[in-house]
Amino acid sequence: MGLIPRDFFKFLVKRPLYTAGFIIVIAFTIIGSIAPYILTKPEDAWGVTYDLNKAFQPPSLEYPFGTDAYGRDMLNRVILGSRYSLIIAVCVVGLSLIIGVIVGLVAGYLAGFIGTILMRLTDMFLAYPPLLLAVAFASVLGRGVLTTIMALAISWWPWYARLMYVSVNSVKSAQYVEAAKVVGLSKFTIMAKYILPNSLIPVVTQSMLDMGSAILEASALSFLGVGVPPPIPEWGRLISEGWVYVSKAYWITFFPGLVLLVTVVGFNLLGDAVKEYMNPRLRSIVAKR
Amino acid sequence: MPITRTYLAKRILLLFLVVFGVLIISFIITRVIPARPELLWVGAHARAEQIERARKELHLDEPIYIQLYYYLVDFFRGNWGVSWRTRQPVILDIVTSLPATLELTITAFILAFIIGVILGLIAAINYGKVVDKAISVLSIIAASIPVFWLGLVLQTVFSIWYPVLPGGMRVDPSLVIETGFKPITNFYILDSLIQLNIPVLLDVLKRMILPVITLMMYPLGLTIRMTRSMAVESLQEIYVRALEVWGLPRSKMLYKYVLKNVIAPVIASLGLSFGYTITGALMVELIFVYPGIGYYVGMALLSYDYPAILGGIVFVAIIYSLVNLVVDIIHAWIDPRVKF
Repeated sequence: MGLIPRDFFKFLVKRPLYTAGFIIVIAFTIIGSIAPYILTKPEDAWGVTYDLNKAFQPPSLEYPFGTDAYGRDMLNRVILGSRYSLIIAVCVVGLSLIIGVIVGLVAGYLAGFIGTILMRLTDMFLAYPPLLLAVAFASVLGRGVLTTIMALAISWWPWYARLMYVSVNSVKSAQYVEAAKVVGLSKFTIMAKYILPNSLIPVVTQSMLDMGSAILEASALSFLGVGVPPPIPEWGRLISEGWVYVSKAYWITFFPGLVLLVTVVGFNLLGDAVKEYMNPRLRSIVAKR
Repeated sequence: MPITRTYLAKRILLLFLVVFGVLIISFIITRVIPARPELLWVGAHARAEQIERARKELHLDEPIYIQLYYYLVDFFRGNWGVSWRTRQPVILDIVTSLPATLELTITAFILAFIIGVILGLIAAINYGKVVDKAISVLSIIAASIPVFWLGLVLQTVFSIWYPVLPGGMRVDPSLVIETGFKPITNFYILDSLIQLNIPVLLDVLKRMILPVITLMMYPLGLTIRMTRSMAVESLQEIYVRALEVWGLPRSKMLYKYVLKNVIAPVIASLGLSFGYTITGALMVELIFVYPGIGYYVGMALLSYDYPAILGGIVFVAIIYSLVNLVVDIIHAWIDPRVKF
């Protein structure tokens, strides 16, 4: 845990809500990582078989989340769904981070013509409401896990490019950068060795806070039928599958949505914790009380 | 008055650039990414000569920059293609369904803003107490809740299990026939008021309750959080504490000093949450069968109706840019510190 300062945990322990968020995020990450190995009914989870005799079973001890229209155990499907949400969120945020950091770094440091072009390009993407652009791309790219990731990343990177651009601008006039210039280092070396490491923290922090939104938007795409295709049990997909049966089998939509809500709340709570931890002014107000 | 004519001119010029950018991206989506763009234009069941005609119409045999030129010309002439689903020009469909969406989102937005600011202030005054914690938890849940799920849950509970509210549509069709209601502007609240048609007005409002509650959650959560954190900081300011010591009534202090500090950043953040709200309308209108742009694009998505999908999305992006322009201008007008 070298990445996380030790007193962050001390800070967390004093705040039960933030601790809850932290636990939710850890639990989600663990379950998402090992999901395929803890399934009790793998064939239900992957959706390869069906048994109409067991269709629409309400929640019970045997089926805590009930069964869907094909008699598949919802709990197993929801557990496997966490894996897709985790993979999609990590890939979307990671891919956007790479693109955004490169664009922001180059635009910020080189400025001039290239910088202007890159930032105007970024603004073009920002002109769309975030999810809507992803919907547009997903609709022509077709359904699939990979295309969902691409569509979301396309609409996501401009935010990081903008943030990186701002933070590069605040770093680039620092004395050590001037010194590196005087010594005669190449532009590439200065960018890679001096600017990048010193301007990365805000954008990386922001990207961690965005995991919850990435999960939420991926499920929205699937709900609209342009995300991942059946039989993949992604949460948004499960909710939309239960949509038509909502009057006779509420549990098909209710439980995946509840799990989705809890996960996103967990990420947002943890995000708030990090923000409060990193904002000394806010912390001092808290300490005074 | 910090808003100068040059500022307005600059912003409006910028708006044109943004619209141009929106069109370039939609051009890339419709004409560059697909292997055969003409198929998107005519639909899955088109005959060979239709496809050939579409190729000519879209100028697909020309170089790409000529295609872009024709794309822009077509856009400004209002030639956005024909929807396969409704068999009507896309632009006509959009114009008829716009008022429904505006009615819904604007109502949700205003309510979220008012309730959000009030709850945020209450939380800030009671900072650290139970009330504050409850409101904070509420705001986090509101900002994290999946709109499509909330819509389905509300619909199930309030119109299926306990049928107290209608679960869909803008107005009861039989009521329209009975009372002779005629849509003029397509803003049904306005139309029923003009015609003094109270039964229709009540029905329209009743049908708006569930979709509006669903839609307002995200901006509500955001407004509460923003208001709360700004108000907490502003209550710590020396001059505000001084006023407190002087014995200025709390309500007056809040209204005259704290609220002013809070409103500007809250309004600035509303532009972004409008983006989420209008996208939420896509799902909410689908669930509540509410015939606005969201329903239109949503149905188009389900039936792979590309001219309708992209026409609708481009149109919403332009509305979004306009809203952001208005928000920026209001922000500059309220907060003189904003620089350009």
